[in-house]
Parts: sequence; structure tokens; C-alpha cells
Amino acid sequence: MADDSPASHRRDPIKSSVGNVAAQRRRQNAVTVGKERRESLVRAKRLCRVGATGDGDVPVEENDMITDEEVSLLDAQTSSAVGELKSAVAYQGKGAMQKRVNALRELRRLLSKSEFPPVEAALKAGAIPLLVQCLSFGSPDEQLLEAAWCLTNIAAGKPEETKALLPALPLLIAHLGEKSSLPVAEQCAWALGNVSGEGEELRNVLLSQGALPPLARMMLPNKGSTVRTAAWALSNLIKGPDPKAATELIKVDGVLDAILRHLRKADEELATEVAWVVVYLSALSNFATGVLVKSDVLQLLVERLATSNSLQLLIPVLRSLGNLVAGDSHTTSTVLVPGHEITDGVIKVLVKCLKSDHRVLKKEASWVLSNIAAGSIEHKQLIYSSEAVPLLLRLLSTAPFDIRREVAYVLGNLCVAPTAGEGKPNLIEEHLVSLVQRGCLSGFIDLVRSADIEAARLGLQFTELVLRGMPNGDGPKLVEQEDGIDAMERYQFHENEDLRNMANGLVDKYFGEDYGVDE
Amino acid sequence: MAMEITQFLLAAQSADAKVRTEAEASLRQFQEQNMPVFLHSLSLELSNDEKPVESRRLAGIVLKNSLDAKDAIRKEQLVQQWMAIDVSIKSQIKDFLLKTLGSSVPEARHTSSQVIAKIASIEIPRKQWPELIGSLLNNMTQQDRPAFLKQATLETLGYVCEEISHEDLVQDEVNAVLTAVVQGMNLADHGPEVRLAATKALYNALEFAQTNFENEMERNYIMKVVCDTAMSEEVEIRQAAFECLVAIASAYYEVLEPYMQTLFQLTSNAVKGDEETVALQAIEFWSSICDEEIELQEFESPESGDSGPPHSCFIEKALSSLVPLLLETLLKQEEDQDQDDTIWNISMAGGTCLGLVSRTVGDAIVPLVMPFVESNIVKPDWRCREAATYAFGSILEGPTVDKLSPLVQAGLEFLLNAMKDGNNHVKDTTAWTLSRIFELLHSPATGFSVISPENLKRVLVVLLESIKDAPNVAEKVCGAIYYLVQGYEDAGPSSSLLTPYLTDIISCLIAASDRTDGGDSKLRSSAYETLNEVVRCSNISETSSIIAQLLPVIMNKLGQTMEIQIVSSDDREKQGDLQASLCGVLQVIIQKLSSTDETKPIILQAADQIMLLFLKVFGCRSSTVHEEAMLAIGALAYATGSQFEKYMPEFYKYLEMGLQNFEEYQVCGITVGVVGDICRALDDKILPYCDGIMGLLLKDLASSELHRSVKPPIFSCFGDIALAIGEHFEKYVPYALPMMQGAAEICAKIETADDEMMDYGNQLRRSIFEAYSGILQGFKSVKPDVMLPYAQHLLKFIELVSRDSQRDESVTKAAVAVMGDLADALGSNIKLMLKECAFCDEFLGECLQSDDEQLKETAGWTQGMIRRVMVL
Repeated sequence: MADDSPASHRRDPIKSSVGNVAAQRRRQNAVTVGKERRESLVRAKRLCRVGATGDGDVPVEENDMITDEEVSLLDAQTSSAVGELKSAVAYQGKGAMQKRVNALRELRRLLSKSEFPPVEAALKAGAIPLLVQCLSFGSPDEQLLEAAWCLTNIAAGKPEETKALLPALPLLIAHLGEKSSLPVAEQCAWALGNVSGEGEELRNVLLSQGALPPLARMMLPNKGSTVRTAAWALSNLIKGPDPKAATELIKVDGVLDAILRHLRKADEELATEVAWVVVYLSALSNFATGVLVKSDVLQLLVERLATSNSLQLLIPVLRSLGNLVAGDSHTTSTVLVPGHEITDGVIKVLVKCLKSDHRVLKKEASWVLSNIAAGSIEHKQLIYSSEAVPLLLRLLSTAPFDIRREVAYVLGNLCVAPTAGEGKPNLIEEHLVSLVQRGCLSGFIDLVRSADIEAARLGLQFTELVLRGMPNGDGPKLVEQEDGIDAMERYQFHENEDLRNMANGLVDKYFGEDYGVDE
Repeated sequence: MAMEITQFLLAAQSADAKVRTEAEASLRQFQEQNMPVFLHSLSLELSNDEKPVESRRLAGIVLKNSLDAKDAIRKEQLVQQWMAIDVSIKSQIKDFLLKTLGSSVPEARHTSSQVIAKIASIEIPRKQWPELIGSLLNNMTQQDRPAFLKQATLETLGYVCEEISHEDLVQDEVNAVLTAVVQGMNLADHGPEVRLAATKALYNALEFAQTNFENEMERNYIMKVVCDTAMSEEVEIRQAAFECLVAIASAYYEVLEPYMQTLFQLTSNAVKGDEETVALQAIEFWSSICDEEIELQEFESPESGDSGPPHSCFIEKALSSLVPLLLETLLKQEEDQDQDDTIWNISMAGGTCLGLVSRTVGDAIVPLVMPFVESNIVKPDWRCREAATYAFGSILEGPTVDKLSPLVQAGLEFLLNAMKDGNNHVKDTTAWTLSRIFELLHSPATGFSVISPENLKRVLVVLLESIKDAPNVAEKVCGAIYYLVQGYEDAGPSSSLLTPYLTDIISCLIAASDRTDGGDSKLRSSAYETLNEVVRCSNISETSSIIAQLLPVIMNKLGQTMEIQIVSSDDREKQGDLQASLCGVLQVIIQKLSSTDETKPIILQAADQIMLLFLKVFGCRSSTVHEEAMLAIGALAYATGSQFEKYMPEFYKYLEMGLQNFEEYQVCGITVGVVGDICRALDDKILPYCDGIMGLLLKDLASSELHRSVKPPIFSCFGDIALAIGEHFEKYVPYALPMMQGAAEICAKIETADDEMMDYGNQLRRSIFEAYSGILQGFKSVKPDVMLPYAQHLLKFIELVSRDSQRDESVTKAAVAVMGDLADALGSNIKLMLKECAFCDEFLGECLQSDDEQLKETAGWTQGMIRRVMVL
């Protein structure tokens, strides 16, 4: 409201003192810096993620299919964007930084634009040396981020395109260090993850250049997205087949703790990436497996399996569990001892997976169970009396082949006692009789017919158990009822000698001349 | 039903603090017990001529404050409260107020007119006080009413016009109001008091006159009356009339053509011979015309074919007479004007206007001004030399570089020599002119500068010598150095040119800041700010060691301020100012050195000591220091990252103090920003402090005392906190989200006519979106369901914003981003909701079409997120 003094117009004099304006500007600048940092933080959260998990779950839209004209247009735009970048890198005047960042951003945008990024055009135009230059030390974060982002997208290209990144690798690794800002380090990790995903050769280069320790250290804090990206990159980096990297990783100070912490506390997305690290550690390195099984990791994996419904997470967790069970006898002999709470927990989560709609989960769970079922008598009894058996039986008759095979291993293992030496395994008659009565034989006979040697062997082995072990000599009759003779006779001239001998031997032994005389 | 409150109103103004506090408490109690009766009693008090003036005045003020507040949220509450009062009580209150306009006591009339306007602002847009305008006009048309009633009525009309929009009245009412006001200006019918009130009322009513200004006859009539009034006998009335002309220049630029001849005569006479208050308004008229034309030129883009409002080229047409008129004013300096920055006199206003004219017409001004410069610059009278220099400095913005650079090249040496002129004013203006030259014609980064590598040394020698001159001159020299170094920012190799002089420049600036001969702290703060610019613009790879050496010097100085003997409040203020400047320097040094990996360790090594100093500064407790130390701490937190954790236990209480500082809202605002910086530095390590911080932030939001400008940053800060602590934000959701929803609803009601409010509305909307984004991103994949109940409201809000064509680009960006965050975080849970949002596609489409790359990118991302939800 107008006060008593008239609203006399008063403007700032042209001749003013610099102090006030400058202080104002400086304070404003300080506030703006905060705003910019907020923006770049949120932006990194939003945009970086798309690719990190985006390999499978972002559907390709029909209208994302692009035509040839669009491709050539995109190529042309990319070449000119690289040209822009070249002049921006050469330019030293006012706003040079901004100019570089703008040019980088444009290139990155083009490289992110379609399902088929114009990587080739970018390489041809000479993008790599420019991007390497933009990664030089002391460059502003935004520039580093954009340059690393471009490289990330290039690394996602075809194998020879990924190899073009070789000159950039040392700098990308260098920017992983603690001195880098998180978004920059994260973006570099991402690029390196893409590179190591390419193949063994590039993985070895990265390992020899020391990429592993800084990536490993990025896993230590609790920064969600950074850890996630680092874990993802690491899981690519230690893929082997040489187990050295996996062994090296688990030896890095704090890594085991970090893995356990993230598995315990992290959100599902992060836990997923960490679980993949565990998958490769446990799949490749006996040393790592040995370290892991002595930690709380099993307990944590079980908890995750119990509480999560995310397929992405359950798969690596389940596989890790299986690797640990299969890879080190310590697991079943000391940790998963029947009677321990954790053992019941494991069975419970495996049952949950068997019940799931996802084929992969069912298969992996069966595989884990088969490894447990290979354990002591007590293990077998535990599984036998659990909710798993009816599920397994149903799966054996209805599930796709690959699941059936895993299921057959479980059921087969349940029926034989651990053996000390060579020779035919001892039967557990109670299990065998019950399972056969509940109709599992036809499933095994089906496997006998399978073209898959391992499955067929499994089928034959189980048939042998039935033939030998069913009380009252009921075995041959049961096998015959399930068309088992026909199935075995197919092996008469089979090229695999082992199977051929096994099948012929069984037919001869149980269905020879004397067969049917009793009737 | 009214209660007796006179004694409380008087006691509330008592000199005795105890009496006063008690009375205030009683008044507050009355207010809380029964608001309607309380307001009724106040209006009765105000209207009662038998009550003391003091109690009536306070009654009016309390009444006014019960109807209006600066803060939008608080204001809305007051409006609701007023509307809830029983109609019969409101009607009695309004009658008392209208009656008071006829009181013989001027103060009561004046207060009453203000209160009436506040009620009008609530009720007229809602058509709840249709009889107000009629009864006011009635006061004007009745012949027998006393002059003071008419005067109060006109004042009320003016205030009412200021409060409401002309669309709230029917055209007949607008016409009647304008007629009453314009007739009130009539010389023949009214005495000076009424005419003055009428002229002031017209000033407020001008915006109502749009229709009338479109009608030539009415326009002619209004213009004639205003021009006549501008020649009144009474200086106050002339000034008010010229103020109307200034307002008309802005509001009705496009219809002024036929009157320009007259207006030039009128203003020209006033500039030449009228009292200063009137002459200043006459100059302001031309400055306002320049503002209009500059704005038209800025909007005039060659490629867009549509012709906006017409450019009448008034300045260009009047140029040959206007420039000499303004040049004359430059010779009317006051004897000691340079000592005071707040000075506003004829020559200041004239030079300022000349600068605007120069920006309006460009090259054309040069030949009109240069003869004046050349003939006066060598005259023995200092006024001539000063005016010539001032004129030259004023026209450096506007004309082309081609036109100016030969003149500046030729004159530079002269100006450098003039730094040794015998007269202080001349040196002052010369230094200022040099600063303008460096500001406008020195940009090595873009490849042009009037300073060559060869004459840089000469320039610096003169500047570093003159910085030892009188304080006012030294202060202007700081300005020159400020712009000189600024030119080398981002200037690549040329920035190395400055490096050899850097140590000398820094030591001269520090010497200047140490001077004690200045009357106030102006020189010191200019010297430090210039030092900041030197640091900020220096070439870090060459100067890091110099800056690293500066750090302990400044820290030492800051340490010494703790030992200043504080005897008076004056001493305390001086200490505070000095600490503010030094914290500012530290902020810039921290920022500079932490910007590269090579230099960051310097800051990290000193961080403990720096922080200790800041904590000591807080201990001295002065708000300006508080503010600067806060800002510097924000920079330090960024540099130290999660290491900042160790300072939190000590620092936290000052953070609390800052967040509670309602009175100095800038301090509060800056503290809110620092909370954001610390969130980013500490990430989830900030968790232990979050209960306290969130509690205070929520309290701040709820407060009606706190300036509204702090509220948007608080919402953004919610986002910062949520990003840092993720799922742990859950417990704040029941408190924070309703606040966000409430604020979103207020956004919908913000008046779009008021630029300032619209700006605020944009800030508020953007910040609410930022809060949602942070929270959604924080909960994503952990506890997104927490946000599910709020999704619908957010979508509605986004829709509302997307329908507003006036929205700011930054708001659009935030809105489209939050839409993606919503889809990203909640996934298939909001599939149905999104399906029902027809606006989404349209809005995304609009954003994808934008020229702004960042917006396009965000919109593309959001589109991807939404598609993903739809196919899940």
C-alpha cells in the first residue's frame, strides 16, 4: 500500500559503486552453484539409470525403428557434431568451457538417440582423440561427465567399435578415483563396464591397467547409484574365464564387508548388481567362494530370496546361492546343516522359487536343490520331507525340458545314499518307492528318450535304480509299463558307447530271456 | 457487543516494555477469543472522534493487518477469516469505516481509507461490496460535503484502485471513478488539498483507464487535465502530476504521439527551471520512454514477422533537443555528491537518462555528445571537466564498438592522465568512466579489447597508483580493476597477460581494504569484492600458488577480527561488516581452489582451521556475518564432501539459528541453501540431523512472519534431503506432503496480473516439483508405495501447470521431469492414473518440440518412463 510519501520513482544511478553489485552477484552465483549441483545430481539419477538397467527392460517401440534416410541423416549430424567438438576443443576464448560442454552434449544426444547409435560415424569423424582430450585432468565436471557419457555409448557399440576406446581407458580409469565427483566417476565406471562386457581381451587390458581396485573402492560407500554402476561394471570385469580377477576383487580391503552391507540394506536394484558380483565371484574363484561361504552371505541371500519378488534380483541371488552350495563343500557340511535355522530357510525360499511363474527361477532353484540333495542322508531326508517334493514331481511331468533335467537330478539324488568309493550307489529304498509310487518314473523314462546325453544318462541311471531297487522285483514291470524297454532299445546302436553299454546292459539284465517267465 | 479496548491500544504503545508486552498479549487474547467482535471493536474505536488519536491509529493498523499480509499463505488465511465473519458484523464494520472518512481527525481518515481498500480487495472481486463505489462517489457529488471528506474519499478511491483489478468493476463504475478523480483535479472547483488527493488518486487509477485511453476524446481530456495540473501553482501538485505522466509514459506509450510536442515542452521547462523534485520527475519521464523503447527493441526480432506494439521512435525524434537538455543537467553537480552513493540529483538523473538514451538510439548519440565532451574536458572549471567525462562515460553502452573504439583509443591516455586531475570529482568520474570502458569495450575472450598487451602495464600502473587516492576515487578505481580482470575470465591464453601483475594487484587491494580514512565501509567492501573477482577470474594453473598464499592472509585477518574491542553497537557492526567481507573472500578462494584436483588439497588441509574460524564468526553473532559465513560454509562443504561430517556437531546449532531467523529472511534463505549443499556433501550421513532440520523447515513454512521468498527454497530443500536420505524420508512424508499440496493449491490462486507475484508463483511451482522429484527419486525402488496416495494430487497439479501458458521455462522443465520421476518411481501402480491423463501427451508433445535441448532431453526421458509403465 502506498505510504504517506508519494510513490516517487527512483531508479539506480548509472554511476554506482561496484561493491554492492559485485557482492550481490557473488552471492547469487553461490546460490546458483547450489542449484546447478542439485540439477546435475537429479539428472544423473534420472538419465544414467536408463542404460544401466535398460538393456532388457525398456521396450523397443515400433516407431523407434528408423529408416535408412534417418540413419544417414543421423550419421551426418554426428559427423558435424564431432566437427563442432573439434573446434570447441581448439577454441580458447570466453565461454570456451560452455562451448565444449555444449558440443559434447550434442554429440552425446545424437549417440543416445536411437537403438542404433551412429557410433561408426562418430569414430570415422575422429571423436575418440577429442573425447580423450576432454577427459584431461582438471576439466570441469560437466565436461568430464558428457565426455564419459559419449564414450559409454560408443562402448555399447559393436566389438571393433568398443575397441576404439583403448586410448581412452587410462583416463576413464583415472577418473574413477576418490578425487572425482561422483557423477563423473559413475559415468566412467559405466563406460568401463561396457568395455569389459565386450570380451576377455579388453577385460585383460583393463585389469592390467588397474581398473579393478578403484572400481572396487567405489563399491564401499552407501551411494546407491554409484555402487550400483560400479558393481555392474565389476561383474563384467571379473567374468573371466581367468579366475584371477575375481580372486583379486575379494581380496580388496572392505569389499566383502561392502557386499554384505549392500545385500543387507540396499534397495533391490543395487542388491541385484551386487548379487551379480557374487555370482561371478562364486562361479570363478574357489578362493572367493571359500571366503564368501565363511561370511554371512548365505544368510543374506536367503533373506533376499524370502523377501523379494523382483525377478531381476532373485535370479542372481539364487544363482549365487547355488554356486556357493555347489562350489564349496563347506557350505553343505558346516553351514546348511539340517537342523540349523538357515537350512530350513533355504529350503523354504527354494520352494518359493519352485512355485514361481518364472522358468528361470524354477530351473535355478532345482539346480540348487540338486546340489543340496547330493549331500548327506540328513540333507536328503530334509528335502524329501519338505514341500519341495510334490512340486518337483509336478515339474518333472509338466515343465520344459531344461527344468525337468534339473528336477530329475534332485529326485535322483534323493534316492541314492552318499557313497564312499566306486561302484553302484546305495539305494534309499523308502525314497525311491515313494517317489515311484507318486509317478516319477515316466518322467525319467522321458529323459531316457532325450537327445541330451546328460539327461539320457540321468534317465538311465534312475531306471537302473528302479529296476534294481524296487521291492518284490516290481522294477522291470514298472519300467515296461512306462514303455521303458522301447526307450532303452533305442540305444542299441547309439554312438555314445557309454550310454549304449548302459542301456543294453539293463535290457539284457532285466529283460533278457527269463523276463516274463513268471507270468 | 463491542468491547472497551482503548486502554489496551494505548498501553500497547507505552514506552514501558512491560506494559507494552502485557497489552499486546491482551489484544492477542481478544483476537483469539472472538475475532469478529475484536474487529468490530477496532472499527468502532477508529470511527469514534472522542477517542484519542493514538488508540484510533493503532486500531486502524491492527485492523489493516488483520486483513492483509505480505506472505501469500498468511494472506489467504486472513481473507478466509474475514469472509467467515457474519455479514451483519462486517456490514457494521464497513459503515464505521466509511463514516470515519468524514472525521475531522486527518489521521483517522487516512487510516480508514487504507482499511477500506483492504476490505475492497477482498470483497469487490467477489461482488460482496457492490455499494462501496456508489457511496464513495456520493461523497464527491454532494455539493455540501466538506473538502476534507472529499480529500479522504479521493485518497480511498486511489487506494481501492491500487488494490483491485479494473476487471472487478463494470465499465460504468470505472468511468464514474475516473470522472470523479479527474474532476477533483479541477482548479476552478477545488482547493489544493482536494486537487492533490485527486492527482495522487489518478496515479493509482491510471491502470483502470485503459478503455478510456482507447477513446480519443476521453484520452484528450485526461491528458489535458494532467498537463494543466503539471503547471499548477503548488509544487507538490506539479510533482504528483509529473508522476502521473511518468506512469502514463509506461502504460500508454503507444498512444502518446499526439501529445509529445506538449510533453516535450512541459518536461523541458521543468528540467530547466522547476524545483528539483519536479525536474527529477520530468527527467524520469524520458527515462521511462527509453525503457519502453529499449524493451520494444529487445522484443523486436527480425525473423518473427508479427508486428508487436508500434515503436514510435520518440527518443530518436526528440534526440537533437533532448540530448542538449540532458547535457545541461550534467553541469548541475552538487559540491560533495561523490561521497554518497545514494545521491540522486539532477545531474545524476540526467546522466542516467543520457545512458538510457544512448542505449535506445546507439550510434546517433555520439556526434551529439562528443562536441560537448571535447569542449568541456579541458576547461578550467572542474564542473565542465567532470560533466564532459560523465557524458562520455554515459554513452559507452549502446553505440557500436566500431563507433566507440576509435574514440576510446584516442581518449584512453587522456583519461589515464586525468587520474591526476586536481579535482576529486573529476578523478572520481574518470575512474568510473575507465571502469565502464573495461566493462563494455574490453573482452579479450571474444577477441576484442581496447587494452592491448602493450598498454596493459600503463593502465595497471595508473590504477594501482590511483587506488591510493581519496577514498571515493579509490573505490571507483576498484570498480575499474574489477571489470578489467573480469575481461580475462575464460580468456584462454590472454588471461596469462594479467598473471605477472597479480601479486601487485592483490597487495594493493588488500592495502586499500585496510585503509581507515574512508568515512564508511564502502571502499573496503569494494576492494574485497574486487579481490574476489581477481581470484575468480585468474588463470588457476598459473596462479594457484598466489591464491594459496592469499588464503592464510585472509584467514589471519578473519582471526584478527575476533580481537576487535567491542564497546558500542557501532563497533559490533564494523566487526560484522569486516567479517562479512572476509568470509566472502574465503568463499571465493574455497570455490576457486576446490575446482581442480591439483589445488583442492590446499583447501582440504586448511579445512579444519577455516571451519574453526567460521564457527568463531558465528560466535560473534551479527546477521550479515552469519549470512556470508553460511555461504562460505556451503562452498567448504562442497570441497570437503563427506568429510564435512566431523564439523556437523559444532555447526549444527548455527544451522538451527539460521533456519530460525525469521526477521532476516535472507539469512534464513541462505541457510536453507546451505542445508542443500550439506545434503549433497554428506549424503545419508546427514540423517542424524534431519529430524531437527525438517522440524525447523516445516515451522518456517508454516510461519506467516517469514518472508515468502524463502519458501520456494525450502521446498527444493525437501528434495535435497530426500535425495540424500532416501527411504528415511518416509517419516516426514505425513508432514511435508500436505505442505506441498497446500502450496500447490496456492499456486493456482496466484494473481497473474502482478509480475512480481507471477515470478514468485513460478519459483514456488518449480520448487514444489523439485521437492516431489527428490522424494520420488529417493523412494524409488525402496519404498515407492509411500508416494502412491499423493500421485493423483501431483498429477492434477502438473496438469494445472501444463495448462498455464504463462508458465516459465524452468517450471515446464521441472513439471515434465517430475512426471517422469512419478512414472519411474511408481511404475505400474499409476498406470491407470496415467491412462486417464489426457494432458500428458499434449504436454510432452509441446516439450519435445521445444528448442531447449535440456527440456527436450528430459521430455524424451519422461516419455520413455511413461511408455515403460504403460507396457508393464
